[in-house]
Amino acid sequence: MEKGQALPKGVTAAVLRINGEDHPVVFPTHHTLLEVLREECALTGTKHGCELGECGACAVLVDGEAVLSCLQLAAAVNGRAIDTIEGLQQDNDLHPLQTAFADFGAAQCGYCTPGILMVARALLERNPNPTEDEIYEALSGNLCRCTGYNNIVKAILAAAGQMGG
Amino acid sequence: MTEGTGIGASVRRTEDNRFLTGKGRYTDDINRPGQAYACFLRSPHAHAKINGIDTGAAKNAPGVIAVLTGADVAADELGGIPCGFSPTGTQEPQNAPPRPALVQDKACFVGDLVAMVIADDLNQAKDAAELIQVDYQELPANVDPAKATDPSTPRIHEAAENNLCAEWGLGDKEATDQAFAQAHHVTTLDLINNRQIPNAMEPRCSIGEYDASDDSYTLYTTTQNPHITRLLLAAFVMQISEHKLRVVSPDVGGGFGSKIPHYPEEALVTWAAKKVGRPVKWTADRSESFLSDTHGRDHVTRAELALAENGKFLALRVHTTASLGAYLSTFGAMSTTYLYAPVLSGQYIIPTIHCGVTIVFTNTAPIDAERGAGRPEATYLLERLVENTAREMGIDRIEIRRRNLIPADAFPYQTPVVLAYDSGNYAPILDEA
Repeated sequence: MEKGQALPKGVTAAVLRINGEDHPVVFPTHHTLLEVLREECALTGTKHGCELGECGACAVLVDGEAVLSCLQLAAAVNGRAIDTIEGLQQDNDLHPLQTAFADFGAAQCGYCTPGILMVARALLERNPNPTEDEIYEALSGNLCRCTGYNNIVKAILAAAGQMGG
Repeated sequence: MTEGTGIGASVRRTEDNRFLTGKGRYTDDINRPGQAYACFLRSPHAHAKINGIDTGAAKNAPGVIAVLTGADVAADELGGIPCGFSPTGTQEPQNAPPRPALVQDKACFVGDLVAMVIADDLNQAKDAAELIQVDYQELPANVDPAKATDPSTPRIHEAAENNLCAEWGLGDKEATDQAFAQAHHVTTLDLINNRQIPNAMEPRCSIGEYDASDDSYTLYTTTQNPHITRLLLAAFVMQISEHKLRVVSPDVGGGFGSKIPHYPEEALVTWAAKKVGRPVKWTADRSESFLSDTHGRDHVTRAELALAENGKFLALRVHTTASLGAYLSTFGAMSTTYLYAPVLSGQYIIPTIHCGVTIVFTNTAPIDAERGAGRPEATYLLERLVENTAREMGIDRIEIRRRNLIPADAFPYQTPVVLAYDSGNYAPILDEA
């Protein structure tokens, strides 16, 4: 494409800031953040569960707040800070949430886990010492068909303790 | 707790390394070079004749590579989707209607597969699917197992008169009826175990790939049992040597039984990959999961417990009408027969038991194993009967169970329904609870 030539109609070019890194992408303007993350960015950790905003498997953070990426246009978050599951650990150091999830058996099939970890991260960043009720409230948009949620909540409580909450 | 990795030590799961860091590899995370995307057109009717399918507009839509129907499946002589289980103990061998991968003449449940669109891009495939014109002639439908064999209920399949799959029974009917005739008390319960949708968090997904250099296929699919899928798909549907098909089951996001069967979509992406010369990827929408994943349960039961005056169980008599949906799935009647009746003795001494099951077809999604597969259905009805008995006879609900538990010194214990229990000591567990 020549310099200065306009993009075809219905296509957006953007540099998305994901997990602190720049991702230059070109995508159909109507695509959701979930699609762009999984396809153009090849960040497949964020999951598709329902395409309706009902299950929470697609949750990511945008400027620190949990957002359902299946209902979010990618073009509309250009310029915002996007955090996904791939950025939860820092280099080789696991986040206390990840360690706690392993310790408490909070994942079984693992499919709902990235969405839950992102929502839990957002919760602990705004409320470092949540009660069990507050954790259940925060997770009320995330469905899990395997675990029954108990170990997930225990893990989040433990991580909060670890993080000095 | 023990340190290290000896007995009693707490051991971490190896899969958590990837599940907790977003590096899990589920089937939809896999992308094959040059892949095309498939979308299925499904029947919106529970029961309808198909008088014609017009795919002309769809074939000409942007990005479309192929639009395939039952006629294409038949022309390539693909085998039908097989049922791998036929119960013994039936009056006659089961009626097993044919199940083509794409239907031609009629649709038998909402979600039945009518056409397959393959395009460069998923949205193009979906847009094209909307252009397919199907001439449906709606027929009356039945979703109630209890009504399936009524003469007035429309017949779904030529192969199944009165929508009957099979009549099955287990146990000693004569001895059981005799015990009921002499009982002091009979508890009767009419129960429905409603149809359930397993709804694993990961929707179904399959990718078919063909390698022309050695005429072999690879199927990536979210399945609980790739070996079964490989056997059935190679031998019965594709009709190729087993070594020419590789089935890869990567990480699976829940199944609960719904990812046990070999599904038509798995066969279709595999077959289509050769037809279009590109890998073909299909991922279910959540609404497709609701419609077309195998469902569970769907029993209508009359259960009866016969007791002596002192609250001791004399006999159990069960009759269940169980639907298997519109077609037999891979394990078909297994959950309604040999995974069901043999656990009807529970932890109790029940001298004689008879269970009869009328297995039927309804205009609903095919039914197969789901989270317990027959055993929860049996446990549920037994414990409901015991609860109701306690209330009816005025005996404490714990006490009545205690009186009937198989005592520790009675093992090994042969139940009247095939199973022999090798060991057990139930009373202390009841005390602890």
